[in-house]
Amino acid sequence: MADHPAVEVSDLTVSYGSTPVLTGVELTVPAGTGVCVTGENGIGKSTLLRCVSGLQRPDSGRIRVFGAAPGSSPEFWAAVVTTVEPPTWYPGLTTREHAELICRAHGQDPDEAGVDEALSRFGLTGHADAIPPSLSSGQKQRLTLALALLRPSSLLILDEPEHRLDPDGRAAVAEMLADFVATGGSLLMASHDDKFAVASGAELTTMESLVA
Amino acid sequence: MTVLVPLRPVRRWIHERQVSHRERGATLSNLYVAALLIAVLGAMTHRQLAKIFWPDRPDLGALPALALTLLGAGFLLMAMRAAGPVTLGRPAAYFLLTAPVSRRRLLLPSLRLAALAAASSAALIATAIAGHATPRDVAGPLIAGGALLGVGLLLIAVVAQRVRGWATVTDRLATSVAAAGLLLLIVDNLVVADPPAIDGWPSSSVLVAVVGSVAVLVGVGAASTVRGLALTPDDRVLEAAKTTGTIFDTAFGMEPSFITDMVARRYWTRRRLTSTRPPARLPVLTGQDFLVARRRLPRLLWLLAATPIPLLLTTAPAWVTGAALLLGAMIAGGTTTATVNTDAGNPVLLRLLGLSSRQALLQRLWIPGALAFGWSLIALVLMQVAGDLPAGPWFLLSVPVGVAGGVAAVRRARSGFVRNDLLPLDTPMGTVSTGPLVHAFAGPDALILGIPTLIAISQETPLTATTLLFQTALALIGARAYLAGTTDPERVELQA
Repeated sequence: MADHPAVEVSDLTVSYGSTPVLTGVELTVPAGTGVCVTGENGIGKSTLLRCVSGLQRPDSGRIRVFGAAPGSSPEFWAAVVTTVEPPTWYPGLTTREHAELICRAHGQDPDEAGVDEALSRFGLTGHADAIPPSLSSGQKQRLTLALALLRPSSLLILDEPEHRLDPDGRAAVAEMLADFVATGGSLLMASHDDKFAVASGAELTTMESLVA
Repeated sequence: MTVLVPLRPVRRWIHERQVSHRERGATLSNLYVAALLIAVLGAMTHRQLAKIFWPDRPDLGALPALALTLLGAGFLLMAMRAAGPVTLGRPAAYFLLTAPVSRRRLLLPSLRLAALAAASSAALIATAIAGHATPRDVAGPLIAGGALLGVGLLLIAVVAQRVRGWATVTDRLATSVAAAGLLLLIVDNLVVADPPAIDGWPSSSVLVAVVGSVAVLVGVGAASTVRGLALTPDDRVLEAAKTTGTIFDTAFGMEPSFITDMVARRYWTRRRLTSTRPPARLPVLTGQDFLVARRRLPRLLWLLAATPIPLLLTTAPAWVTGAALLLGAMIAGGTTTATVNTDAGNPVLLRLLGLSSRQALLQRLWIPGALAFGWSLIALVLMQVAGDLPAGPWFLLSVPVGVAGGVAAVRRARSGFVRNDLLPLDTPMGTVSTGPLVHAFAGPDALILGIPTLIAISQETPLTATTLLFQTALALIGARAYLAGTTDPERVELQA
């Protein structure tokens, strides 16, 4: 896994009907680094992330994640975490139980994995017994990121992680992402907030610059 | 000081605009189709309907008649509480509830409609009970009395909607009345076996006088309720409007998941949960289902109360009892399958968990299977204790029935939305959409794994070891095949 870049995209083309969204996109995210794609609405950032996550089939082009084609296998999803799709929540489970479930599914002890710390860092301690649908949109975004960072992974693919967060929340999330990259994790994200992206330890790149 | 805007011209204006967008004669055409459908269905089922509502002679004792009355009243009150009953259409809730118009005039049409529906439903129930349990000459006043009772229950539901204290009392009363009815039915079936009572009824004129008095009481209650209608709080009207809108969405879109999602969302929103950990020895998703099952105690109690249903159906053809046993097992298994439904609809969490679809489904089958097993075990033991089953270890069939019920419940949860892209069928009665039909059978079709049980109960002969063995083998092999055929160890997604 370490021999390959985390993400390699070459000559990627995606169209919606007759409207081309991505044409000849090239992107490399070396393992252990972060890249943040910026650009205006509708330029194709989310489409690019969806293709890299294997959740959307491109018209043409080549995508490799740690040297292999993105897939829907358990091995792929054990290494990759993405927030490009809105989450759904299990009925009847609390916020804390969702976090513990993620830990247990990855063979972690919830206490040792730091569920309490994660909820605390994301300002969710007071909502540990709430069901996620009852949280505000910003709190749901915090929970999504908390779950993404709680479990072990090698690559984070995040679509506008700063979205709906207040300034303090943005700063805290940026710090955690920077820690993730500093400890060998790879990060590919799309954002409209350059300051947030830089604080996350990601190298900024525009969608226009990705076109060969 | 706020000046009230007259509501009638506003409603007339809305109606005129809506009519102008409709095709000419569309309403008449809809009425014609509805009348034709009722006529055709009536012609096809009039014999069965006569058996249900008006048999040749009374065949029910006073005790079961009372039990059915209590059951009908309890469920009618629950249905009215669930629907509102004072409600508005979603557009009216948005535009008119916040307008300076008479609140009473705004809500009155829905109350009138609810009264009509309550009276009609109660009259139908009363007709069936009177047809089965009373001499013909007193049936008329009893049916009228039933309709009035329905309106009376509606008035209670309206007050319960307005006053929070009444709401709790009314809901508990409705549950207790229905539970008492069910209990009386079981007692009658197991112990009393009350014969039909033709004699001892008051004369028709006495009953007419009683019904007249009830009518006066209901009329006074209705007047008082209408006077206080404007006091119905906005949040209750809005909630009822959402319910009504969802029911219409379900009816027009032929998509039952709209209602089930709404009911589940409201149930969990009302609950106050405390985070807890499932037993560590259970697989992770099984443990999660275990927690959900523990938190659905009211549903488990209702399921427990429903275990005598196959026993109560023993007077019907034997295959009906067998089918009720299998369907009951599937419904019991469905207590925790909302989690499967979540994963099948959007596999985001499964991707985060990193489990394969095979691991996930295997772990998700245990609790539904256990619940289906428990339900069918109690139902079979009750039937055997009552002497309604021939000799043999019938209770052992609960193992394969549990497996079949669990598989059926999980398959139902994985079926997702109704597919409206399937080709329609042309029939002599018109075009039939196949999507809702296919969706309705997704889940119950897996009960084919319980066919040997159905046949064994239908034959009304002692249960043999061969049948037991064959049924067990079929259920286990079927469950294994379902797991292997619809999942993949290399895939995360759980769609059917």
